[in-house]
Order: sequence, then structure tokens, then C-alpha cells
Amino acid sequence: MKLLTGLALLGTTAALSACGSLGTGEYGYSDYGLVHVTRVNVGDGQMSVVAPRPYNRHRRILFSDVRDVEDWTLNGPILDGISFVSGMNNNRELIRQRRTADQQVPRFRSDMTPPEITAMLESLYRVKGGAVDLKTLSLQPRPFLGANGFQWDYEHLDQDELWRRGRAVGAVIDGKLYMILLDAARSHYYDAELPDFEAIVASAQRRG
Amino acid sequence: MLFGGAAAAASLHTGVADARIRPEDMVPLIGPGFRPTEKDEMGLWKEMDRAEEEISGSNLVIQDPKLEGYLKNIIGTVGGPAAHDFRIYLVRIPDFNAMMFPSGFAVVFSGLLLRMRNEAQLAGVIAHESGHFLRRHMIRSWRDMRRKTDLLAIGSMLAGIGGAGAGVYLGDYVQLAQLGTILSLLQYSRGMEAEADAMGARLMEQNDYPPIEMANIWEQLIGEETASARYRGKRRRRGSLFDTHPSEGSRMVDLRADAQELTVAGKAYDSRRQRYLSTIAEIRPTLLDDQVKLNDPGASQYLIETLAQDGWNGLLRFYEGEVWRLRNRPGDALRADQSYAAAIAYPDAPADAWRWHGIALMKQGRAAEAKAAFARYLTMKPDATDAAWVRQMMG
Amino acid sequence: MRKLGLAAALAGSVALSACVQTKQYADMQFTPPQGDYKLLVLRPDVTVGSLTTGGMVEPRADWTDQARSSIVDALRAQQAARGGKVTIIEHRNEIPGVTAQELADVERLNAAVDESIVVHKYLGDYLPTKRGKGLEWTLGQDAVRLGQKTGYDYALFLHGEDQVASGGRIALGILGLAGCIVGFCAPNIGGQQQLDYASLVDLKTGRVVWFNVVIAGSQVPGIKFGDLRTPQGATQMIDRLLGRMKPGTGVTKGVVVTDDPAAKH
Repeated sequence: MKLLTGLALLGTTAALSACGSLGTGEYGYSDYGLVHVTRVNVGDGQMSVVAPRPYNRHRRILFSDVRDVEDWTLNGPILDGISFVSGMNNNRELIRQRRTADQQVPRFRSDMTPPEITAMLESLYRVKGGAVDLKTLSLQPRPFLGANGFQWDYEHLDQDELWRRGRAVGAVIDGKLYMILLDAARSHYYDAELPDFEAIVASAQRRG
Repeated sequence: MLFGGAAAAASLHTGVADARIRPEDMVPLIGPGFRPTEKDEMGLWKEMDRAEEEISGSNLVIQDPKLEGYLKNIIGTVGGPAAHDFRIYLVRIPDFNAMMFPSGFAVVFSGLLLRMRNEAQLAGVIAHESGHFLRRHMIRSWRDMRRKTDLLAIGSMLAGIGGAGAGVYLGDYVQLAQLGTILSLLQYSRGMEAEADAMGARLMEQNDYPPIEMANIWEQLIGEETASARYRGKRRRRGSLFDTHPSEGSRMVDLRADAQELTVAGKAYDSRRQRYLSTIAEIRPTLLDDQVKLNDPGASQYLIETLAQDGWNGLLRFYEGEVWRLRNRPGDALRADQSYAAAIAYPDAPADAWRWHGIALMKQGRAAEAKAAFARYLTMKPDATDAAWVRQMMG
Repeated sequence: MRKLGLAAALAGSVALSACVQTKQYADMQFTPPQGDYKLLVLRPDVTVGSLTTGGMVEPRADWTDQARSSIVDALRAQQAARGGKVTIIEHRNEIPGVTAQELADVERLNAAVDESIVVHKYLGDYLPTKRGKGLEWTLGQDAVRLGQKTGYDYALFLHGEDQVASGGRIALGILGLAGCIVGFCAPNIGGQQQLDYASLVDLKTGRVVWFNVVIAGSQVPGIKFGDLRTPQGATQMIDRLLGRMKPGTGVTKGVVVTDDPAAKH
């Protein structure tokens, strides 16, 4: 998943010398690009989807991003986000982490069963996302990209005291992880975005 | 706070060994019903009131009347008459700490309940905290700082150095509510920590708890830190659970001396271990879960082994397995499964042990045995959230 | 662990001494409340330090009380001039029919929404789908239910620095690297800084209809900007924040507004 260094960049871009320049408004560089309502490749291109309405795609940050992962949002990542994993290989990790960091998120392994994949995601939320509690609501089989996959529904409480809800749909195909995940504030935002998420999942295709 | 003041301690520590404070010299400086009359102290209390409002409304508070009653009882006993009406907030934070605020409330972290081995140890922590407010440390500390630095001391403290900058790990949770702000007010000097230790030991003895248990707490904590650091190799992690206080070892030594001095020969002391263990039995799986999911294998393994000194059981073997499974290094899957296999031999093995065991069997190609394990899992947890997936695995 | 040091980031945008900036965003169809409306003001965080009087923070009960009552007085006066009925609540349990938990939930969602607005409208990290569209954020049904239960038309949330700093970690996908290393962002940088922001929520729809940020900064410590403890300072802050509410761009362009009678003026 992306490490947002954008705010660090913003700290510099927003520092203008003249007063009366609060914020740069909506011009110039932003971390987000526009996703049009058409078939697009996500992640490193091994998967493609169609969005039912325009979305905002978080731009890749060199050196700190994982190639197979891409993040979208409608209202900003604090409120909602759809993440894509496009064919992640064995032994790869979802986020960059220092090898010496004592709290590690487990790497993906091709022989992972869905409970292990969801445990990996739970780690990501707790260790890196700072979630103070995470509950599985359900884990069930679900076909995805023509393979026997899974659907994981969950909720988590974060340090801003906000509950968020999520759904992940994924499958391991030829040893690679393909997944689409929705995570949003439980109040209003998750329900509002779920239909979009389902449409995106239905449209997903593997490439190459 | 049990931990605090590393920065203060470092700056005030002259290198000369301080004489041990004698428990008998520790008398309460306030009584029940105390209210501040001086402006700066009133200001501090107002800050604490704000903090309390946030904490009490926090989603992290564990609502468990039985546990709250138990804690209230201990606080009322060991905390002295002033603490009788204290409000208690047990919060779900997997770190070792507790704090008592003179304005009338206490916050206990769930990580504390995990680490204490008996009621005496828990009482010792609470007695120590009571020592801080009975000896009016907060306001004395603030005035000390103010005098020495003659500056906007509170400003720099409140401006958010918080616990982390002063060498106390409060986890990520310090951001919640006003905790970060208010806890920065609880940076006590080494001398004050020693006072609280001595007072705590005395309060323990007065209530028939063996005062040596307070020294044992430190021994356990030092052990945990060592295990955690050893696992990490030489590099210490920034903001570690306990930044090494120069005083840790010497606190243990002093507390041992206190215990010797206070213990009355022939008097019957009771650590009340059984009562403690049965009271926290219900919440213990949650405590272990929160700890293990921090993915700090060194510390978690040490804690589990310490708790296992009271005897291994299904729950502990299961969490031993969880530690390996989450670490997920080469060879860990096998280690984990050995623990799960050991866990299911006990009657109290959690249902999840059966499921993980089943998954391991499945990967080894032992399909029939896997199916049996999954069936057992579903019998124990018919409404398991992943029942649909498990059934599919069973074929 | 990292946090969003929004004030730290925002502070970068104020470089000269004695500079006050404010910028409003409004829903396209927004017209400032006028006439007979009921406004709920939630827990204005006015303890000294929370509304960032820079590093000059002392835990003085009298100062806190002064600032609090000044802000509240200024609020009442300012809103009285506009008409409408204002209720300012200080604690979460003061609204009959609404539990403290329900109110806390609305506040927390609002904090998340406001943080998003600050990041994506003020800090330049704009979202292409929202570009040029005024304000397009909502609190959803929770806010509507609050309005139904209490009978208020609008809710005003006033935030101080602390709230921004306590935004905390955010959800999967974006892991804030910016911010402070120590674990807690020190809001004070160099000279005094005063950062306030306000959001107005229409309780009939749940939408955030108006938002404003005020930064008053000085590179020279000692130059104070309207000491919040004084009536003048508080009035000044409220005036900057709320006083010059402008209608949304859709309105000024003569676009047909909703048939809400309050909108006609």
C-alpha cells in the first residue's frame, strides 16, 4: 500500500512567500490523478477494471511504493478508499517496511489460505495502520477472476476513534494474489460506496 | 504513572547514588475530599477534567462491571481513603501502565492486567500510583520545573512532547483524547518515583499484601524488555515499551530492601493469586490477543512463558502458536503447528486452534484429519464468522 | 508512529510575520443562514492551548474560563446579529434525547470529514473529482438524525489545533509519513501561531455546507493576535472565522437554488 509522502511534499509546496496564499487551491501538483469511466489497468497492469463513475487515483511515489498495489478514493483516504492488488508474487510484501522494524507485517506466500491472507491484512491494519481493534464479520468463498476466491468482511476501530468497515474480494491464481478491497468510515461512507465496489469487482479482468 | 521521567531523570541524575527513601517516612499529604485552592493547581485539575471527559467517552474503554468493581475495590483499599470514590477507566491498550489523577479518576491499561501475576502485584501498581497523588507529585513536579526552567515549561510539555519524547512508550494511543497532553504532566523525577515506590510498598504491607511482589514486577518487566531487545538484536527500537531507565535495576534493589524492612515476621501475607486469576479469566484471551497481534515476538513469547509458570494450558499453547504464525519466518509455520497440536490436547483449547491445526494438516496433504479438525472447530463455534469458508474446505 | 501534522504542514504556508489568512469554501448552493434558524454549536474547544495561543500555555483555570466565556459571548453576539436561535453546548451530555455516545460519533465523523477538507481543499492535495465544485462532503444520516432528534437546522463545529493533531492514523492505503517523528506534533513553530477552523453542517441533508480556516501567524514571538482571553480577541477570531460567510459560487452565478424558503433573501 502507498506510503503517503504527499503531505511532506505539500509542506513545501504550500510554503509560499507571500501572505494571502492560504493553500495552493486546486491547481498545480496533487497526489491524485483522475480515473475516467473506462477500462483501466491497475497496479502493475496484471488486472484491469472499469469504474462506474470518475475516481481519484493516488499517484505512485517512486521508491516507496509497492508496484502491484494501487489506491483509489472518492472523498479522501481518511473517509474511504478502494485498493487493488494486481498479481502479487510469492514472498512480496504489501507495504515497504524496514527489515529491522520490530513489528512486521507478514509477507504474502503463494500457499496462503484465505484465513492467512486476512490475518496478513489484519496485521497491516494493526501494526501499520494503528487499528486498535479489528473484527472479522465474515469470511466466505466467492468466485473472483474466474477462480475460487474469497470475500472477507471486517470492521476496525482506529486511533481517531472512528469505526471503519471493509470488504476484500480476492483469489490466489498461479501463486499470485489478486485482490480488490474497500475500506471506509462505517457511518455513511461504506454503504455509499459498496455498490461502486461491487461494480468494480464484477468488471475485473486479468491481463497477460 | 509507573513509567515516566526518563528525560527528567536523566537531567536531574547527578551520578551520586541517592539514598533509599524509607517507607516509614512516607505519609499522605492530602486526605479525602481534598480540593485545590491555588491557581496553578486548579488549572491542572481543569486540564484533568477535560481529559476525563474525553477518556470516559472513548471507544477504548472496556465496559465490564465485574472488572471495574474489582479494580475499584483494590483502589479503595490500597489507595487510601482519598481514593475511595475514584472513577476507574479500564482501557484497551496493550501496554503496561496505570495512572491516577488527583482530580478523582484512574486509568488502567489492559496490558497491565496481562502482565500481573497476582492481585498483590496489581495492588502494588495501584499503591504506587496512589503514592503519586497522596504525595502531591503532579503539582510539585510542575512547580519544580517552572522554577528551574523559568519558562513556558508547561507550554513545551503541553505542546506535545508527550510521553514519547520523554522516553515513555505510550503506544500510538497517546493521540487519543487528551491523553498525550495530560500524560506529559505526569513526568515525575526519579526522586518522586522513589517516593511513590516506598509509599506503595508501605500501603501494600498495610493491606496484607507481600511487599516483595512490587520488586517482582520490576524483575518481570526487566525480563520482558531484555527478551524484546534481544530479539531485535543490538538496535533498540525507538519509543520502546520501556526506555531504559537508569533507575530500573536500582528500583528493584530498593524495593527488595523496602520489603525486607516492612515485612513483619510471623504475619500472614497473601498475594491472592487465585482470586486474581479467576477474575481476569474471561478477559485474558482478549489481552493475549491484543498483545500477540502487536507482532513483537520477543516480548510476547516472554510474557507467555512467564504466565506459563503457573502451568501451561490450551490457551497459552494456542497463543504461543499465534506468535510463530504471525512472525511467519521460514520454519515458523511448523513451529506454530506444533504449538496448535499441543494446544488441542488441553480441554480449554480455543476453537481457532482446531481451525489452524486443520489448515496445517490440509497443507501437509492429510485431508481426512484436516476434515476432522475443521468439524471439531465448527462444533465448538457453530456461528463462526468464517464457517462458510471452512465448510467449503471440508468439501 | 506518524501523525498528520496538519498544523505543521499548514504552518509552512505562512512565512511572513504579522499575517492573517482566511479562506472559505462553500457548497455551490450555499447561502449563509439568515432569519429564523436554529444553530447548534458543539463543544467549542476553547481551553487555552487548544485554540493555540502558541507556546504561551499555562494551565490557569482563570485564563481558560476567560477564553471560554469570551468565545461563547462573541459567538452569541455574532449569531444574534444574524437572527436565529443559537445553542452552545459544552459537554456531550447536554442535549436532551441524544446520548453522549451518539454525539461523540457525530463529532468523530465530523473531525474526519473536516480533516479531509483541510487536506484536499487547503493543503493543495486536491481530488480531481472534486475540483472546482465547492464543497462536496457529507456526514450522512447520522447528522440528519441528530437534526431530527433535536430540531436544529445547522450544526457548527469549531476546532482547535488539538483536534487536528489528534486526528490520528488513517485507514489502509495511505500511511502518513509526514508529520512528526516524536509521536506527537508540537503545534508551535517558532513564533506564535493561531489556527482555527469551523465547519457548518446542514442538518437537513447532512452535508458540510461551509468551511473556513483561519491562520494567524507571527514569526516574531510576542506579537499577539487577539488574545483569546479578551473579548476583543475573541470577537476578532469569531469574526474572521464566521463573520464574513460568503454564499456558494452557484448562488452568485445566478444558478437556480433549491426551493428552500430560507435560501431566498
